[in-house]
Amino acid sequence: MNPLKVESVVKQYGEKTAVNRLSFEVAEGEIYGLLGANGAGKTTTMRMVLGLILPDEGDIRYFGNPYSKEQLSMLGYLPEERGMYPKIKVSDQILYLAQLRGMPRKNAEANLRRWLDKFEVPEYYDKKVEELSKGNQQKIQFIAAVIHEPKIVIMDEAFSGLDPVNVEMLKKTVKELRDGGTSFVFSTHRMEHVEELCRNITIMHKSNPVLQGAIRDIKKKFPQERVLLSADEPIQGLESVPGVTSVVRHEHGWELKVREPEAAQAVLRHALAQGPVRRFELMEPTLNEIFIKTVGERHE
Amino acid sequence: MNKVGTVIAFTMRNKVRSKSFLITTLVLVLLVVVGGNVPYLINKLGGGDKASDVGYVSGSNPEIVQQLQALYAQQEKQQGHPDVNLQVSADEGQLKQMVEDKTLDGYITLQDNPATGFPDVTYHSKNALGSGTSSSLQTMLQQVKTNLLVKDAGLSEEQIRSLLTPVELKNEQVTLGDGSGKTAEEQGTAIGLTYVVVILLFMGVMISGQLIATEITAEKSSRVMEIIVTSVSPLAQMFGKVIGTFVIAILQIAVIVGALVANLNLPHNAEALQGFGIRLDSIDPAMIVIAVVFFLTGFFLYAMLFAAVGSIVSRTEDLGQAVMPITMLTLVGFYVAMFGLTHPDSPLIVVCSYIPFFSPFLMVLRVGLSDPAWWEIALSIGILLASTLLLGWLSAKIYRTGVLMYGKRPSVKELVKAMKAYKV
Repeated sequence: MNPLKVESVVKQYGEKTAVNRLSFEVAEGEIYGLLGANGAGKTTTMRMVLGLILPDEGDIRYFGNPYSKEQLSMLGYLPEERGMYPKIKVSDQILYLAQLRGMPRKNAEANLRRWLDKFEVPEYYDKKVEELSKGNQQKIQFIAAVIHEPKIVIMDEAFSGLDPVNVEMLKKTVKELRDGGTSFVFSTHRMEHVEELCRNITIMHKSNPVLQGAIRDIKKKFPQERVLLSADEPIQGLESVPGVTSVVRHEHGWELKVREPEAAQAVLRHALAQGPVRRFELMEPTLNEIFIKTVGERHE
Repeated sequence: MNKVGTVIAFTMRNKVRSKSFLITTLVLVLLVVVGGNVPYLINKLGGGDKASDVGYVSGSNPEIVQQLQALYAQQEKQQGHPDVNLQVSADEGQLKQMVEDKTLDGYITLQDNPATGFPDVTYHSKNALGSGTSSSLQTMLQQVKTNLLVKDAGLSEEQIRSLLTPVELKNEQVTLGDGSGKTAEEQGTAIGLTYVVVILLFMGVMISGQLIATEITAEKSSRVMEIIVTSVSPLAQMFGKVIGTFVIAILQIAVIVGALVANLNLPHNAEALQGFGIRLDSIDPAMIVIAVVFFLTGFFLYAMLFAAVGSIVSRTEDLGQAVMPITMLTLVGFYVAMFGLTHPDSPLIVVCSYIPFFSPFLMVLRVGLSDPAWWEIALSIGILLASTLLLGWLSAKIYRTGVLMYGKRPSVKELVKAMKAYKV
């Protein structure tokens, strides 16, 4: 039984449809990516999963069960707009939030100390949140989302506003939790994070799910049309190879766009005829390209 | 239920720990201690015990001055000291100088007035407006005049005394019950108590209400709200917050009232209070019970309204404007009650004592100062309870919707639409 199963949910705000027939499933120990431009319906979807608003149609199941108040304790939430009580001590508010989600104060206290040690900031236990830097507040916010050992964690714009070092640290932590069996639903605008973390994704556009599935399969559906080429000697006449649509010269080689994969082989033959080739690669489309293509195409 | 407890504990802990709360309580206690001792201090420091020195010019209307002196001498025997010490002087210029030097409080001059057959008297002093001295002089001179006229009429001693004895008029309140109404003393106490209850309710509602609304808006604007509403049902959170703040308010009030009662019970104060017609032991216990019931229900009625308003506002800056209507309601209730202290039976008060927002103020007032039938009290409590439940339910719905709405303050239409959309 999968921890989370969303089945063709529909949510309407008056005349406007916010989410239209969205379905997806998250397995145990999986990070699921929910992508989309601003206003595509990601936050509404997450709010429905969290039980804040009820779907008009469709069904959401947690380990096969319908939504109920008891399930709140196995959900964790990292909202897009971060917020803590500025004037209250870190320990007070984290323990409060943990207790609200049904964890005994004692356990929560032990967990908090462990997390603070893990993030190498044990001295924050007695600090007020307003005394911390923005990046450190983010760490505390993350702890607040996972302090009660949830089974499903919803992260809206997971790593925004963090410096690269902290992004790495949080990513590492998320992976550890994933390997421990926690499921994540995760939204972000940073496609490289999605490629690194997620197995399956949904791209939403204007309330509709437009592209769904495993990242590997999605990429196969998109033609490989980018070629990287580098050689010791300059190679002439790349533009004239049939099927090549554009050539850009970089510092250490060329980046070509081809109409179909076969054209790439022609490019390689053309290059080899002129001298040794140091590097040849037929690139997969990046998620970023796929996203822009999918969302951008439908913009017209 | 468990989670409501957690919210209550969190709300209370943060409140009690805050410096502003401690300082406010301390200042209020200090004020009450000073205020509680005011009657005693007035008695001790006030001019009541001291005779004022009043001069007169020798030789003018000697008969009247002599009688006046005799009356003040008689007063001295009765109350230990006269209101006025009369002192003679040669001429008005000298008297003026003595007033200037503060050896005299003032002086009187007499001017014959043939029309009335009694001289016109003028009291000259530094403070021109009605002091106790001039009213004392007025009373005494009136008596002198009566004496002079009566003496000429040839009445017997008995008749004169009977004529001069004032008519006895006592106040007693009529009740249907066991016949004995409230005595003047009990009424004085009731007025004092009603006043205190009305002010406590007003302050309790205003301070805690604002506090609840501010905290909820702050949670919303700092976006903690999103995490909290995903951990605990908004209802549990709202009630936890209201109850937590309520307990704190009660604690604060208990400390203040405790300080007040302790001070009033000090021996020197009890005596002074009795002088003002207030006796703590004459408080009707039924009145206290009714006051507590109305206080509790009224408090929750207003607190939940404040919570609902706090939930629809996204920024603390907008809060003041948003709570204005509720503030106005409490103000109206409070001022109608202040008016009612002197007119407890006016139709306005009677009608308003059934209107839920005002009844906590006004029914308590009527019970204290007038004598409403039991069914009137029951009806008023019934209406108040019903509307508190109704508004609590409505507030919970607004709250549930409001906490998720950001941006500008929603109109009623938008709110209803959102309620439908969120299926709350």
